[in-house]
Amino acid sequence: MATAPDAITPPRLTVGQVVGARGGAVRLVVVGIVALVAALILGVGLGSVAVAPGDTIGIIAHRVFGLDVARTWSTAAETIVIDLRLPRVLTSMLVGMGLGVAGATFQGLLRNPLADPYVLGTASGAALGAAIAVIVPVHIVVLQFGLLHGLAFIGALGAITVVYRLSRVGSRAPMTSLLLTGYAVGSLLAAGLAMAMYLSGAALRQIFGYLLGGFDGATWQRLAVSTPLIVGASILILLRARSLNGLLLGEETAAHLGIDVRRERAILLGLASLITAAAVAGSGLIGFIGLVVPHVVRMVVGPSARVVLPLSAIGGAVLLAYADIASRLLGEIPVGVVTAIIGAPFFLLILRRARSGYEV
Amino acid sequence: MPASSRAPSRLLLTSIAVVAVLFGACSAPAATPSPTAVPSALPTASPAPAASPSPAPSPTPAAAFPVTVTDDLAGSVTLAAEPKKVVSLTPAATEILFAVGAGSRTVAKAEDIDPYPPEAGALPIVSTYKGIDVEKIVALGADLVVADALNPPDAITKIRGLGIPVIVLAATSIDGALHDIELIGDAVGEHGPAADLTASMRVRFDQLKAAAAGLEKVRVFYEIGGGDTIYTVPDPSIYAEMLRLAGSDPITTDSSYVIPLEKIVAADPQVILIADGTPISDVRKRAGWDTMTAVKDGAIVVISDSLVTRPGPRLVDGLAALIAAIHPDAVVPTPIPAS
Repeated sequence: MATAPDAITPPRLTVGQVVGARGGAVRLVVVGIVALVAALILGVGLGSVAVAPGDTIGIIAHRVFGLDVARTWSTAAETIVIDLRLPRVLTSMLVGMGLGVAGATFQGLLRNPLADPYVLGTASGAALGAAIAVIVPVHIVVLQFGLLHGLAFIGALGAITVVYRLSRVGSRAPMTSLLLTGYAVGSLLAAGLAMAMYLSGAALRQIFGYLLGGFDGATWQRLAVSTPLIVGASILILLRARSLNGLLLGEETAAHLGIDVRRERAILLGLASLITAAAVAGSGLIGFIGLVVPHVVRMVVGPSARVVLPLSAIGGAVLLAYADIASRLLGEIPVGVVTAIIGAPFFLLILRRARSGYEV
Repeated sequence: MPASSRAPSRLLLTSIAVVAVLFGACSAPAATPSPTAVPSALPTASPAPAASPSPAPSPTPAAAFPVTVTDDLAGSVTLAAEPKKVVSLTPAATEILFAVGAGSRTVAKAEDIDPYPPEAGALPIVSTYKGIDVEKIVALGADLVVADALNPPDAITKIRGLGIPVIVLAATSIDGALHDIELIGDAVGEHGPAADLTASMRVRFDQLKAAAAGLEKVRVFYEIGGGDTIYTVPDPSIYAEMLRLAGSDPITTDSSYVIPLEKIVAADPQVILIADGTPISDVRKRAGWDTMTAVKDGAIVVISDSLVTRPGPRLVDGLAALIAAIHPDAVVPTPIPAS
């Protein structure tokens, strides 16, 4: 990407260097897509009820691709595959994609490799918003959905705004300042969440579910709500990759490049918060995806947002889809536990290897 | 680092404990020779706005299907044909299904720490404190699901979305429990047996109430869960109602189920009922408990929580057990002979 006119390689973020970046990117895309297809098949094939692999493929061929396949399966198997497993696998991919993009965006915006929806309190803010929405007694489904997503978005945006404003020193958000601010705001939000749970009564389980994170509740209806939000916001962020690249160099340089810094920054923060909110409202708090995936991607392909964003999207989808499959195989343990178990050691390893490349 | 949950972990544990406790009294449906063909009831379950669970005795004469019943959350559930494969998501519902004679049509149950009835023992489990296994419910070909308001609403919405009718129970009183028995009886086409059951339960309740009415009201502390955090009966609740009927003045708390030790000490119970299986010797040794009259008098009694709190057919036995525990000298009338 170094040859592209807008590909900017800021001195402090040259982790992957430019060596073989393009080849690496292509390879990653291919690997990612193959892994996604494999995850789809695995995710739809596995579950608490055994459906024969042949039947699973037949059902999908019949229902998704409209092929004329001889029916060898029961109605129940069809319902399980199409209405229970497929939306779940797709939701895990969608949310993983969104978290990957949101993480890459936050890291670029704040010029800080530790930024992600969790460190920044965005996700906790969204969770608090969602918890309040759950407590508010609204019984019309459409209003419930609107309130849930609306309050989650307000929570996410509020949290990121506070953390961002308080932690910024000049145009950067230094590590210590960001972590401390994120921690303080996160603790406050966690207290709010605890209070919401205390007051929630019968809704306790649902709020508890948000804290654990998971795709058990995935349905086509929910997917229909979160898909446009997450995909739409991700595309809008991708279209602003140039601004994100400019901001990576610092606000002054970005301004010299003709970027309306304040406006672009606000838009990007808003979009990333929207993705986080939609992800949390749909499937609760799931950590590490937004942190680990963009890192790995940057190490392979370098920092240009044009490459990092789409690859983070694919990588996030792959990682979360497999994390969910693992969580199911391990007896429905919360998926956030799986992502932490995979993510934390991986992240520490990478951080250690690449320390020289980061300003820690 | 970014953990999915930070501070509220203690609260989480507490919540888990409460949910586990609330779910605790669980029973299981009996082995089922599953009927061959599944004439699936085409269900039109409309999850109507859930306001206050107001169980009003339903005069629905459940003769021929289709039958429409109104569940405790005011949802209207229509069953096109007699359900042949019923799934129970709570221990109470399992007990009710077996008691009204639909045990042979029950195909799956909720996890039950105190399984009842024994015939339900072999049924597959589709509901635990962790959640509902919707896949398995679909695979079993369920044509009616009996749930509780404590089950995750998401799962109930999902099951209804798949066209399986769900009846949600939310009994908060003895009358509510009796209503639920009749409601399930109507839904599974066992109106007569359900009505007979509730009639005999009412007779027995009246006997027991009469026996306890003249007794001195004893201050009772009912321990649902002990440990660092102590859980006891909220007011109003089916627990509190049962304890009052048994001739006691229960020490109650709010809907959080949590009670500070100070309050128990200040209330000075005359009888302590232990429903969480803590050995009585351990209760005596707890710091601060030795000042209580009940501990001094040795009036600590272990009681079966599932009898007292499971809103099902065994509530009458629960009331008898409570009276016997609280008033050891009282004469508890024996059960009326089975008709």
